[in-house]
Amino acid sequence: MAETAASGGAWRWLIAGEWRAFPVRFLVAGLAIAIGVALAFAVHVINRSAADAFGEAVRSVSGEADLQIRGASTLGFDEGLYPKLIALDGVADASPVVQFRASLGEKGAPITLLGLDIFRVLAVSPSLLGRRQDASAEGRTSTRPTGVDAALDLDALYLSRTAMSRNGLRFGQRVQVRVGARAHIFTVAGDLPGVGDGQAVGMIDISAAQWRFDRLGKLDRVDLKLAKGSSPGAVRQAVEAVLPASARLTDAEGESRRGDSLSRAYRVNLDMLALVALLTGGFLVYSAQSLSVTRRMQQFALLRTLGMQKSALTAQLLGEGAVLGIIGSIAGLALGYLIAGAALKFVGGDLGGGYFGDASPELQFAPTAAMLFLAFGIATAVAGSYAPARQAAGIAPAEALKTAGDPIDPRVSPRWLPAFVLVVAGGAFAFLPAVNRLPLFGYLAVALVLSGGVAAMPWLARTLLKPLARIDTRLPSVELALQRLLGSPSQAATALGGIVASTGLMIAMAVMVTSFRGSVDDWLESFLSADLYVAAASNEALFDAETQKRLAGAPGVAGIAFSKSVPVTLNPELPSVLLVVRPVGGPGYALPLIEEAQGRRAGIRLWLSEPAARLYGVRAGDGFELPVGAERAKGYVAGIWRDYARQQGAIVIDTRDYVALTGDAVRSEAAIELAPGASVAAVRTAIEDRLPPGLAGRVDFVEPGVLRVRALALFDRSFAITYVLEAIAILIGLAGVAATISAQTIARIREFGMLRHIGMTWWQIVAMLATEGALLGLIGIAAGCAVGLALSQILIHVINPQSFNWTMETRIPWTLMLSVAAALIITSAGTAVLAGRRAVSRDAVRAVSEDW
Amino acid sequence: MRDQVLRLTALSKSLPGGRRLFDGLDLALGAGEHVAIRGESGVGKSTLLNIVAGLDTADKGEVVVAGRAFAGLDEAARTALRRDAIGFVFQAFHILPHLDLARNVAFPLVLQNAPRAAALARAGEMLDAVGLGDRRRSYPKELSGGELQRVAIARALVHEPALILADEPTGNLDPETARQIIALLGRAVKERGAAMLLVTHSPMAAATADRQLLLTPKGLVSADG
Amino acid sequence: MRWVVTLVLLALGAAWGAALAERNVDYPTVVRGVEFRFPRDHGAHPAYRTEWWYFTGWLEGADGKPLGFQITFFRSRPSTDPANPSAFAPKQVVFAHAALSDPIKRKLIHDQRTARAGFGIAGAAEADANVVLLDWNLVRTADGVFRARTPARDFSLDLALAPTQPVMANGDRGYSRKGPRPEQASYYYSVPQLAVSGTVIKDGRRIAVTGRAWLDREWSSTLLDPVAVGWDWAGLNLDDGGALMAFQIRGRDGRAVHAGGTLRRADGNKIILAPEDVRFVPRRRWRSPQTGAVYPVEADFIVRLPEGVRRFPLKPLFDAQELDGRASGMPVYWEGAVSTPGGRGYLELTGYADALRL
Repeated sequence: MAETAASGGAWRWLIAGEWRAFPVRFLVAGLAIAIGVALAFAVHVINRSAADAFGEAVRSVSGEADLQIRGASTLGFDEGLYPKLIALDGVADASPVVQFRASLGEKGAPITLLGLDIFRVLAVSPSLLGRRQDASAEGRTSTRPTGVDAALDLDALYLSRTAMSRNGLRFGQRVQVRVGARAHIFTVAGDLPGVGDGQAVGMIDISAAQWRFDRLGKLDRVDLKLAKGSSPGAVRQAVEAVLPASARLTDAEGESRRGDSLSRAYRVNLDMLALVALLTGGFLVYSAQSLSVTRRMQQFALLRTLGMQKSALTAQLLGEGAVLGIIGSIAGLALGYLIAGAALKFVGGDLGGGYFGDASPELQFAPTAAMLFLAFGIATAVAGSYAPARQAAGIAPAEALKTAGDPIDPRVSPRWLPAFVLVVAGGAFAFLPAVNRLPLFGYLAVALVLSGGVAAMPWLARTLLKPLARIDTRLPSVELALQRLLGSPSQAATALGGIVASTGLMIAMAVMVTSFRGSVDDWLESFLSADLYVAAASNEALFDAETQKRLAGAPGVAGIAFSKSVPVTLNPELPSVLLVVRPVGGPGYALPLIEEAQGRRAGIRLWLSEPAARLYGVRAGDGFELPVGAERAKGYVAGIWRDYARQQGAIVIDTRDYVALTGDAVRSEAAIELAPGASVAAVRTAIEDRLPPGLAGRVDFVEPGVLRVRALALFDRSFAITYVLEAIAILIGLAGVAATISAQTIARIREFGMLRHIGMTWWQIVAMLATEGALLGLIGIAAGCAVGLALSQILIHVINPQSFNWTMETRIPWTLMLSVAAALIITSAGTAVLAGRRAVSRDAVRAVSEDW
Repeated sequence: MRDQVLRLTALSKSLPGGRRLFDGLDLALGAGEHVAIRGESGVGKSTLLNIVAGLDTADKGEVVVAGRAFAGLDEAARTALRRDAIGFVFQAFHILPHLDLARNVAFPLVLQNAPRAAALARAGEMLDAVGLGDRRRSYPKELSGGELQRVAIARALVHEPALILADEPTGNLDPETARQIIALLGRAVKERGAAMLLVTHSPMAAATADRQLLLTPKGLVSADG
Repeated sequence: MRWVVTLVLLALGAAWGAALAERNVDYPTVVRGVEFRFPRDHGAHPAYRTEWWYFTGWLEGADGKPLGFQITFFRSRPSTDPANPSAFAPKQVVFAHAALSDPIKRKLIHDQRTARAGFGIAGAAEADANVVLLDWNLVRTADGVFRARTPARDFSLDLALAPTQPVMANGDRGYSRKGPRPEQASYYYSVPQLAVSGTVIKDGRRIAVTGRAWLDREWSSTLLDPVAVGWDWAGLNLDDGGALMAFQIRGRDGRAVHAGGTLRRADGNKIILAPEDVRFVPRRRWRSPQTGAVYPVEADFIVRLPEGVRRFPLKPLFDAQELDGRASGMPVYWEGAVSTPGGRGYLELTGYADALRL
């Protein structure tokens, strides 16, 4: 052996030998790196694909306009703005747009329906041009006209390929197009060759759109083309000067950014989880490497004695880490790509978060990111090997040749100050505000508290075990187990650090999700107080004043409140808030208020959801303006209510105030309070009978119970990926603990042999190992719970409010925590026993007389 | 018979592959008697020690330690017999790295459920006896090989066993230290009246024994002279 | 008579025609015997399906180098449902086209505008010539001068076009037949010998120009004869102050299905040319590298006058004066500055690219 080691291939021999000898440990470490890289990469690829798809969706309905004027709300703005815009200096041309969500024919798959002026589109955004297609079979000469003419056919509908195939339509077919309660028959006249695959877009003439779908006098958008050589800044200024409150200036890029900003916090959170998985992987590399270093100390000493340089030894161990990192990371990239593909297919581009609407993303490969994550994975593995490598290089050859003791002197009490400083610093960072709407300091606080927890383990273990060791149990197994944990502080700390790191995060996540879910459940209960809800199937506005009156008179209806949500843009940099129009104080709604203004003030009363209040930095009683109606509507914040449904914020306005501002009387939802003794089924039938014929079958009836279940299902769906990550974190953690303990156990085979010689029974040794494992698990889980609860408070009170602008009340998932604790103690004790069983067998007896 | 600490009668042992290690081996050790067994590598010296310790079983024959036969005892009883009657000294010392010297030495007493304070006090005496009385709180990694083997000797004798089994106790030591250790071992065992079976390659070590035997496939033959 | 856009409009008409049958949008028929009244008839006639103000002419700057130009404003009334209350309802659509033929570059540069009337963005007044189309406009000022402004992508025209002669009514006092059937006709007058002054911005340089131009005014509701595939038209300002307008309409076989014209002598004496009085004889053809269409860019208009047959050989300023309007939904045709011994004007050749496709 010495000869082999001394020869040139020393370290190749050593690496291969070590890995051959302990494949499971390296497999687990490599797997941890792979999983960390895979998750981080998958989250990145999915986000990138989804963002691309979202951007594509925005672009495909925007054409190639230089600038866009959009309605601040879905109410649009007066069409009188259009000639003002086109007359501005620097504006070469302007294309007015009316935009709807529409459904087609029988299948009714939703499309984005654009009403366009073909002549303006030609100059401003030719990619939205329709192309006339002949209905007749190929080869026959068309008798239909071609060219500009076709566009002026007011009953012609042009559809993107996706819109056609989703609705199973052919060219020349007549199809009913529905927008809200209105419908009209159009002829599928051609396609939209400039609209990309996956985008369901339709185009009709703007005058037909205004006329058929009750949008006279209103526009949703004006696309601008700038004159050659004009300064965009100057044009923006000129545009701003003529914009009414109901419109705002943007561009397609800005729209994509807005979509992006909505999901950003969510994505960053997922990225962080993925990084945690990667760091756990790094920790497992560290534990695998430090164990193997401890075990090979004598080999290294021999190598050093034989003349191997310190630096060469360090390089060898770092090289081992790098090889592990490369293999793990490459496997991780492949795995991550597969995960991303599967997730896009089964969960959607927002990973269940519900941010990107119905944009259906295609998997995008990200070579730059792949290289980055590869480097990340390798760096993590090398970093994990660094401390063990230093330790190995630092040994005095002569001493290590004799015996493998613990590198830390058990008689010296471990220092608690570094851990204390880390935790205190973490706590301090938790109080810092968000950076660019991201809770960066919150994450830093999590990292610091976690490392503080890990760093505290030697001290904590000693503090907890010392009193136990003073008790004379007269049980040799317990005695020896305690002495071993106290006598090998660094080995114990390695195992404990792994347990704390994984259980701490696991418990923090569990507490956060449980608190969130519980708060959402409470919120739903207080929010859904009516007996029955009626809503348009696709949330279009359906109930006009006439219908509302008829429904209110239906038998069995004691009270009915109609409502509707209108997206309103308050800040072009932020996603639109939802303006919720409803009678305040009417039946069926109770706002879960958390803050209320004192006394009445002048102006319209507005109730802001907690996210809206945080996003726009207002408190109850503050003044607030709404870009609705001809002038900016002046009001104040009458109250702030808890809301988990609309991360972009929601503002409740009383129906009367809204009607006074806009005159808009159409509503899309109704909350019904039943008369005493009336049955839900009977009222449902009565309502259905009173719906206008066009609406029959296009409304949903929902009871609060069902809605609650549905909402919670939606919640679970949006947390699906979090659950998966959590489960993986638990598994990695347990696997790491198991690997660490079993490696430590296997390394002690000769010790067991000796113990058998001097008279310990097989059972006593197994009991000793079980006690060691259980003690480790117990201390680890105790510390893990403490760290986890601390981290959960950072998640709940810092990271969530800063990312999503909502708060929640802490709820402890006792069952889950106890199960995790039990699982962990069983895993650590069980692993120790399982690994020990082999070690305590006859091999152990032989190992005693084996020389090394 | 009362003085007989170890009696091996007609022991036979073959390896799983069929190779016969020894056949019809007899040996008897009286109280305080030191016997050195030498032999070629692989001839079965360690196996013989394991059989004597009840850690391995012979194919045929009888092992009686301190008047009790291993045959017919269950695992627990065999362990108990070994714990009470036998002390071990190994070539590789096998001092537990995570225990200080006092606890290492006291460990056999702890296994016998002795009160801890008494056990530690006794271990201290034993460390005094091997010249390490001032190092009770030291940890094994601070010790040289010779010192570790002194600790091992203290541990082997702490519970006053009737029989010491020493397997190449000088194998990992330089000649000078080996001489000191083997002298200490012989003296300490003699002082406490225990018998010792010493397996060794070293003629120097073997020479300190009362009798020298050579293990051959035919059994033990006298190697004195 | 500008048939280029007629092609478009008639094609539109086909689409709208189908709608027409259902919706009964009433287009007035062109009838014989209606007297022109000015300035009213310089203004738009929105009830009719199509109408245009079509200027063509020759310009020269201080360097004396000639340039050809064309500025056309079209008005069209699609047969959209009159019930459509939207302000965007395409009740009237205004098109315009401007082109500049530069013999030095031997290249035609052109641009166009289109908009539905409304919002003050586009429209044609009825009282006098006053057409607004985005940043382009045409207006007849109180002194009777036409002002046309067409700032375009690669060039810009700002011209004052002053009549030097009275209006020249074509056909039977402005009732101009286009086919064998009486309703296949338009109201048609020309204003030849317009004195042009103004500025041209070309290659980023502003050039003061003067020149001679021709205005064609025509409005109609009627379809071309179904057998017609294209036509050849010329309007020439003769150096002596006279003017010639001549056209033929070609059938599928390339032969004339109809023809006509007007010759006004310097003394104001006017001769209306009957179908049998006009012949168009190609002499040299040019193949467009862009579209592959082959145009008779050099040809003779042979007209029979009381004093005998007179030949007007036409020679283009340069060959490549094809307008490829496919990108903006317009047809492909050749519209170029031509000269003839003793005169200059414009030649329009249509239906060659389409014919090629068939």
